[in-house]
Amino acid sequence: MLPLSLLKTAQGHPMLSLDGENEWEIGTRSFNLSQLVELKNGETYNGHLVNCDTWMNIHLREVICTSKDGDRFWRMPECYIRGNTIKYLRVPDEVIDKVQEETKSRSDRKPPGVGRGRGRGRDENVAGRPSRGIGRGIDDGGSRGGRGRGVSGNRGGGRGRG
Amino acid sequence: MSARKETVLDLAKFVDKGVQVKLTGGRQVAGTLKGYDQLLNLVLDEAVEFVRDPDDPLKTTDQTRRLGLIVCRGTAVMLVSPTDGTDEIANPFVQSDGA
Repeated sequence: MLPLSLLKTAQGHPMLSLDGENEWEIGTRSFNLSQLVELKNGETYNGHLVNCDTWMNIHLREVICTSKDGDRFWRMPECYIRGNTIKYLRVPDEVIDKVQEETKSRSDRKPPGVGRGRGRGRDENVAGRPSRGIGRGIDDGGSRGGRGRGVSGNRGGGRGRG
Repeated sequence: MSARKETVLDLAKFVDKGVQVKLTGGRQVAGTLKGYDQLLNLVLDEAVEFVRDPDDPLKTTDQTRRLGLIVCRGTAVMLVSPTDGTDEIANPFVQSDGA
């Protein structure tokens, strides 16, 4: 399980609880504030994870900010947090089950991965023109290799003499 | 378009609105967002810095310093939030613990 895939799973999840009525969505309502983000400076942010990207930049909604000492609190409708300032995040427990489902579905998708293999094959074919050139070079290199070595040997000898 | 899509938060909705920006190192600035780019460089007008307690730089005081028109470098931007609706509140977690 990748950390960012966990976050990606977590991101849609409280969002749906805003307007959805399913059981698990109601369940997440009690965990509305369980998306906790602590920054390197010690401040913590609790809120709905709306979106995140590959840099772990995150967008939170209905946020409660707590100062490092935990003695001052701010409410803000939303905030954008830069990924590199994050120390850690706490995500709702139920997200972990969803991630497993996701990884399963990903492993189910592996057969289509054969298509990717074909794709790579095409890439090789595309790259075939230069690779053929390299191939010839290697083939020729086999016969020229002796010459090459001989040359390098001569050079080495020359250095040795020098 | 693709550059704009890279940002998680579309800052377009904050343009010409008050935003609060926290910078690495602890400075805290509020101003009107005039512009931005995909690197999160921000242009803030009528910017005000919240001066920090010299004894404890982690705490901001109510004292402010007027900066005017500024550019915040994206790499230093830690947090962006709208000023509207941002208020200091009493501890909300005491209640939630009781419930």
